[in-house]
Amino acid sequence: MSKYYGYSGRILRINLTKNQIRIRPTEKRLITEFLGGRGFNSKRLYDETLKETNPLSPQNKLMFATGPLAGTAFPLGARFNVSAKSPLTGILGDSNAGGHFAAEMKFAGYDQIIIEGKSQKSAYIFIEDKELQVLDAEHLVGKDIYETTEIIKKDVGNRTIQVAAIGPAAENHVLYAGVFANLMRPAARTGMGTVMASKNLKAVALKGTGSVQIADPERFWKIAEDIEDEVYAHPQYWPRRIMGTTRILMLANRLGILPTRHFTSATFERATEVSGEKLAREYNVKNRACFSCIVPCSRFYVITEGEHAGHFGEGPEYEALSSFTARVGNSNLDLALRAVDLANRLGLDAITTAECIAWAMELYEKGELAKSETDGFELRWGNGEAILALIENIAYRKGFGDLLADGVKRASEKLGKGKEIALHVKGLEIIQADPRGLKGYGLGYAVASRGADHLRSEPFIELSDDPKKGMEMFGVPEATLRLAYKGKGRLVRYFENLCAIVDSLEVCKNLAENMELLSFNRAAEIAEAATGFHFTEEGMFNIGERIMNLERAYLVREGIRRRDDYLPARFLKEPLPDGSSKGAIFEIEPMLDEYYGQRGWDKRGIPKETTLKKFGLTDVAQQLSRYVRLCP
Amino acid sequence: MVCSFSNENVFNPSLARIVVMKEDSFGLDLPNVCWHCKQCNAMENCPTKALERNEEGLVFVNEKKCTGCTKCSEMCIIGAIRLHPERRTPLICNLCGGKPLCVQKCPTRALTYVETGAQQPRLPNQVIKEALGRWKIFV
Repeated sequence: MSKYYGYSGRILRINLTKNQIRIRPTEKRLITEFLGGRGFNSKRLYDETLKETNPLSPQNKLMFATGPLAGTAFPLGARFNVSAKSPLTGILGDSNAGGHFAAEMKFAGYDQIIIEGKSQKSAYIFIEDKELQVLDAEHLVGKDIYETTEIIKKDVGNRTIQVAAIGPAAENHVLYAGVFANLMRPAARTGMGTVMASKNLKAVALKGTGSVQIADPERFWKIAEDIEDEVYAHPQYWPRRIMGTTRILMLANRLGILPTRHFTSATFERATEVSGEKLAREYNVKNRACFSCIVPCSRFYVITEGEHAGHFGEGPEYEALSSFTARVGNSNLDLALRAVDLANRLGLDAITTAECIAWAMELYEKGELAKSETDGFELRWGNGEAILALIENIAYRKGFGDLLADGVKRASEKLGKGKEIALHVKGLEIIQADPRGLKGYGLGYAVASRGADHLRSEPFIELSDDPKKGMEMFGVPEATLRLAYKGKGRLVRYFENLCAIVDSLEVCKNLAENMELLSFNRAAEIAEAATGFHFTEEGMFNIGERIMNLERAYLVREGIRRRDDYLPARFLKEPLPDGSSKGAIFEIEPMLDEYYGQRGWDKRGIPKETTLKKFGLTDVAQQLSRYVRLCP
Repeated sequence: MVCSFSNENVFNPSLARIVVMKEDSFGLDLPNVCWHCKQCNAMENCPTKALERNEEGLVFVNEKKCTGCTKCSEMCIIGAIRLHPERRTPLICNLCGGKPLCVQKCPTRALTYVETGAQQPRLPNQVIKEALGRWKIFV
């Protein structure tokens, strides 16, 4: 068994160039300072990649990591992170997924798997407990995620293995291809699949029969049961079980934050036709869950009528659903389901794909893009045929799709048009919520360490619009009012730290951010019961701070400064045209000042020397001072 | 998880007496566990008669007699007998003394604890086919 409770205790390093495998024990210091998952990955990414490292070169490191709670009976704790330097943004790349892969990784005996170098031929890794093989994957080249997973299961003669694979999009070096586990559990943001493809690695397959032992079973069981009881009693339990995150579509429509027609409108007049409610009522046949989870929020659907009858699949979640409905102006739910499924099978990030298509549609609608430039596609809002064809053309880099396959930032630069409406931060496309109607989220997008993304902070509490909560938690009532600016620096800092902990314990954000059932104190208790190491509430908060500061140091080393912590001009200049947040724009500067102040960073957005030292990052401070002058 | 934890004090689905067969592409999850059938094919075919029945009629393995030949797992008509990953002896549900924890813990109440009498279990393939038929998926 592992030297440490909760962990598998081993870190695997595979060099595909040298065909070399090294297994090292998980270090105590790594555990107590970075917990697991994202913490492990960010630390190693900082240490092992350089400013000069080309994301698609063999020198980049692709890392899978999970935390101390994966593979235990802890509810909502089955996630893993995939990290590398991102080919899409050129900075920290990281994505998180659920399903059954994380638990299997632990049972197979690994806390972290690091893949470096590049295989000469296409290969996949198969790990069965202590046995590890790098197998030939020439027969899998060009196969989609479903086919790849199925063939590997047949090849190794075991249907209970877990597979994380990449699709044709990654193999064609689309810059935003993901790694997909359990067929449709994507770690798709920031192009981690593309990095995997650059290593000629088609999949990682796992089977483990080992155990996860915990330090204090009685205490652990008690905390887990308490959390279960609270989850069952939570008002969000049934909505989440029935609709998953797709319930947010109607909520976003009501709040006036739905990214309709590429954020040109904040409400979608046909939202009910593509809502999670409709999906639940007319399509869903069954619920499914991640490993050991008591909120089975994933839904299996079947289309029984119409043109697409006979199509079935799992999901989608809000981001993907909204991607191929409101964002591209499509009100045909069947078509959206097909689009999400297609993007999944080909291995694309649905959010970025939809932004690229929506961006092109807006240009086309404005008359700035001609039919001759789009391979003859009429890119009118909601043109289903064009949407499906473009998804495929992006994945195979055909014609106009080739331009979009580099992400919206590069596409707009290359085309020389539409730069001001390319909606991204640091090169990562914005998610499906309009920051003009959600200031805390907006600040979160601006400063998130992987580019425009809500899952680095997710201040869901903001949607409550309850000033009492803001007063209680931050001493500023406006902090939890979604249209107010004051206190947002505090809010985002707090929730960023919480997200860092959640991603490192590898717990689901539904539990911590949405249901608000995992405080720092509780995270400390459960981590202590699982691992036997002493954790405190303050200690947990500081681990969050440490991870955030380390990730920021990584960004600073890559040249990221205040000017990069921005939002696209649309949100800063154009008032919201409709909905319940009508007239709102986004003012970023005062919020940035407050946020940097709260974080202990200077006006340029660089962590001060004292801040880095406070969180035990003295070596980082020393190293960083070679690149930039640090304020004391 | 609750099964491996209560029986072996660790978290390990490979040590659980209940197994969930999964087919992601069809959204299927099929729990499988020993029915303690009145007529047990595995018991009848055990070369060393290591599978015995207790006074309550529950099938259990006599570890002294078991040679780890794994015949039982092949012979069980519903494939509910799993093997210990190291010892290769069968793992058979003991019904937790009449209050199965898996049933208590199941979030969706997909599991129920019932007296089956002389009824024989339905074969997994048949159950899967019926489920897909209900959803109008035909393969």
